[in-house]
Amino acid sequence: MTPALDVRSTRLTQRLIQSATLWHIVAALAGLAAVVLIAAGVIVLNLPAWLRITAGVLLLVFTGASAAAAWFLHQRKRVGRSLSLVTNYLGFIVSLLALFQFLGIFTGVDALADTFSRGLWALAGVFLGYLISASGDRFHASIDTEILLKKIGKYVALASFIVFLFLVGLVDGLLYLARQFAQPTAAAALFLTLVFGFMVWALWREDSGIALNRSNAHTETLEGYLFLSPNLLGFLVFFAFPLLFSFFVSLTDWDAFGNQNFIGLRNYANIFTLNLQPLDYAGQLMTEVMDGSIFSELLRFNFFGKEFLLGAKDALFWISLRNTLLFVILTVPLSAVPALLLANILNSKIPGMKVFRAIYFVPSIAATVGIALIWQWLYNASIGYINYFITLAVTFFNGTFGAALVDPQIRWLSEARTSMLAIVIMSAWQTMGFNTVLFLAGLQNIPKEIYEAATVDGAGSWARFWHMTLPLLAPTTFFVITTTTIQAMQVFEQVFIMTNPPGAPANSTLTIVLYLYQNGFQRFRQGYAAAIAWVLFTVIFLVTLLQFRNQRRTGGGYDM
Amino acid sequence: MNSSRFHSPTKTQWSRWLTNALAYIILSAFALVMLFPFLYMFATSLKTPDDTYNYPPRFFPREQSTVQVEGYPDPLPMYYVEKDGQRLAFALAQQTVPAGVYAPPDALDQTVAVPLELAVPNGQTAVVDGQEQPLLDVPVDGQIVSMVQVGKTALGRFINPDNPSEEVFQNVRKSEPVNRITWNPENYVRVMTLENMGRSLTNTTLVTLFVVIGQVTTSVLGGYAFARLRFPGRDKLFVVYLGTMMIPFVMLIIPLYQLMVLFGWVDSLAALIFPWVFTAYGTFLMRQFFITVPKEIEEAALIDGASRLQILWRIFLPAAAPALATLATFTFLYAWNSFFWPLVIINTGNYDNHVLTLTLNMLRGRASDQGNIILAGAAISILPPMILFILGQRFFIESAMSSGVKG
Repeated sequence: MTPALDVRSTRLTQRLIQSATLWHIVAALAGLAAVVLIAAGVIVLNLPAWLRITAGVLLLVFTGASAAAAWFLHQRKRVGRSLSLVTNYLGFIVSLLALFQFLGIFTGVDALADTFSRGLWALAGVFLGYLISASGDRFHASIDTEILLKKIGKYVALASFIVFLFLVGLVDGLLYLARQFAQPTAAAALFLTLVFGFMVWALWREDSGIALNRSNAHTETLEGYLFLSPNLLGFLVFFAFPLLFSFFVSLTDWDAFGNQNFIGLRNYANIFTLNLQPLDYAGQLMTEVMDGSIFSELLRFNFFGKEFLLGAKDALFWISLRNTLLFVILTVPLSAVPALLLANILNSKIPGMKVFRAIYFVPSIAATVGIALIWQWLYNASIGYINYFITLAVTFFNGTFGAALVDPQIRWLSEARTSMLAIVIMSAWQTMGFNTVLFLAGLQNIPKEIYEAATVDGAGSWARFWHMTLPLLAPTTFFVITTTTIQAMQVFEQVFIMTNPPGAPANSTLTIVLYLYQNGFQRFRQGYAAAIAWVLFTVIFLVTLLQFRNQRRTGGGYDM
Repeated sequence: MNSSRFHSPTKTQWSRWLTNALAYIILSAFALVMLFPFLYMFATSLKTPDDTYNYPPRFFPREQSTVQVEGYPDPLPMYYVEKDGQRLAFALAQQTVPAGVYAPPDALDQTVAVPLELAVPNGQTAVVDGQEQPLLDVPVDGQIVSMVQVGKTALGRFINPDNPSEEVFQNVRKSEPVNRITWNPENYVRVMTLENMGRSLTNTTLVTLFVVIGQVTTSVLGGYAFARLRFPGRDKLFVVYLGTMMIPFVMLIIPLYQLMVLFGWVDSLAALIFPWVFTAYGTFLMRQFFITVPKEIEEAALIDGASRLQILWRIFLPAAAPALATLATFTFLYAWNSFFWPLVIINTGNYDNHVLTLTLNMLRGRASDQGNIILAGAAISILPPMILFILGQRFFIESAMSSGVKG
């Protein structure tokens, strides 16, 4: 580099830093003005109150950070560069996303879905190109052929992709986007995006970094957050914020249309309020002992000769909790115990083991909705295979052993007695294979030498399983039981598809998540539904904690 | 001691053989239980509506055999008929032939049904129930019997397809049809075109594609930062990420719905894509893999002046192919099969944006009495993951195992 160029580059860097400083002063002032105008009601934001407050706070933070960045940049301090980069980067992302939103790019996926199938055959061309390119690998002997094939493959794929883009309406889409820029909001977002982007570039440059005394650790920090930023920002917007927001919603009587009042813990109180009253005689009417307009009957029981009646403000919640716990208690062992058996057999290294493992895994890759539909037909009382097999078995027993069994003709899904059992059997079937694979992974982690030593000591295979495999497998067992429990606590799709109306008959399959769905999206009591979600989370957390402590107590010393 | 060749001396060849046989019996029984519902689905999805309701259930789809007989423009359906004590497959030539019910005058409950034109009055009469009735010559099993008419009915005329002049008359509804195994791909055509499956297949494909690409991208970037870059707050953030993996999705469904209302994404495919692009699980998975890549290679590249992005692209990504495939598989299954969130966010009436699971849900209501149609729909939603599973079984099972190896 010649000295003249060097000087010019230094001058450019200094000028960029100065302009960034100026920009931050302007941005800080603009931010402050915006906050004041919003607070004074001059700018009317068509947003709910809590969101206006959030936006105001964010703007204030931006203003403060911008002012600080201007000050430190003026001082040529390193922290000024970091602050400037962070605020400009975030500003860039926000205005870019706002631009996309104004242009309708996110919702444009719908339009793409409209035309996507038209271009499918061109995508096949891309695949063909890939195949041609991949076939080049076979010609290691002649480099020329290999390179030629790779080149042809690349061009075929590229050409097909361009054809595909045209077929799905690239031109129309671009024209549409160009027209959108006529909107002042879109144009403003574009302008801001460019300014923020330019400022990020101005300070990210190597020379700017050197001028502002960057260090290696410093660079690494910036790079670390840069790499993490897509994930972290998305995580904040779509996970952390909703989670906190959910708690706020649970303290309101929010409906789906944005009307809300803060009602404190009343939702939780409604869920949990129970009323236990002694009865004068069995069969006494519920309304005689408690207010029927508030409470509904949950159950009657006899305690030391005295009749009691338990009423609840929200009896359906307690019913759904009972059903869910019943489902969990039945499904978890029913899917874990056969899985343990199968995994032990598969672990004995017999030929064909991989085929069996694959077969067992198939139910866990299929959509629960599809599986529930299949089982609904298998459970069909008159023409379903399950009742048919039962009939065959009964006929066989009666014919062979002279037994006088009666064909039960179970109406699986339309009887309150069996409906939950039907769902349990299906769910256990669906999760069994997944659990088998998990157990198998755990078993393969146990060193063979331990078994061999035990065999020398004369331990039988049952003793070996009971005293060695099970304790050594404890971490896997814990994991299987915990994940299956957490999943089972959230049972929804099976019930929603298989029972009609969902939760029927007689609320025997009403689960917590189904009840949450009905409250939030059918009765539009979203505040109440959010409260139910937090109660469910607490239950799941407690159950997990319980299992965790249990595992700690009984768990072996072998740690995976 | 050569431990790997060690055998218990009490264990004979015979008992080992027995144990293996027992193992295979148990494994095969479970394999059958696991596969049967799917086989049932495919078989039923190829059935005709009538066949779906046959009892006892028949596994393979069947339809009535037909035969082309000279002199008849359309193929004729085949039935089993009784002729001279034999069971023969005949073609139904005429659905309703007017027929009379005849009985001997002295045994009125022993009726036979014979076409009217075959019973010829023989001029005699008999007194039945105090009334005088004409007697007719009725052919029964090759013999002529003298009978009175006690009623009317209709019979089908069945002919021998090889010899159309050979006829048998019997009740069509009581005749057993001749069946052959067949398949009706029309069910698939119908659900794809009339029941909106085609459009929802496109939607699901598109959504899954975006979610997989998006999630793999953010997870790779985030995982690399967590595994390889040192910055303040990194480890605390990672613990937060780990902690959130335990939080069930239903916690988010209400606030996320509100957020989508705010963004104006309700009823749009965007709502099915963007919230699922950023996950703690994927980041965790990639981080766990990147941490195993030796540091030396990276340091050498850094000294050579490569940027972080170049290092990630040139060194880490190629090495991470199995981990990427595992993550992609896991994400694919999640996006392809999800139901609860689409149910909440996509309006029931907006058919254009239905994904497969939603269309299946609609189909359940609209074709509730047509198992063949419903199961054809289910097969369409289940087949793509199944084909991918057959192609890349290893990654599916690894993605399951990777979720378990946390201990």
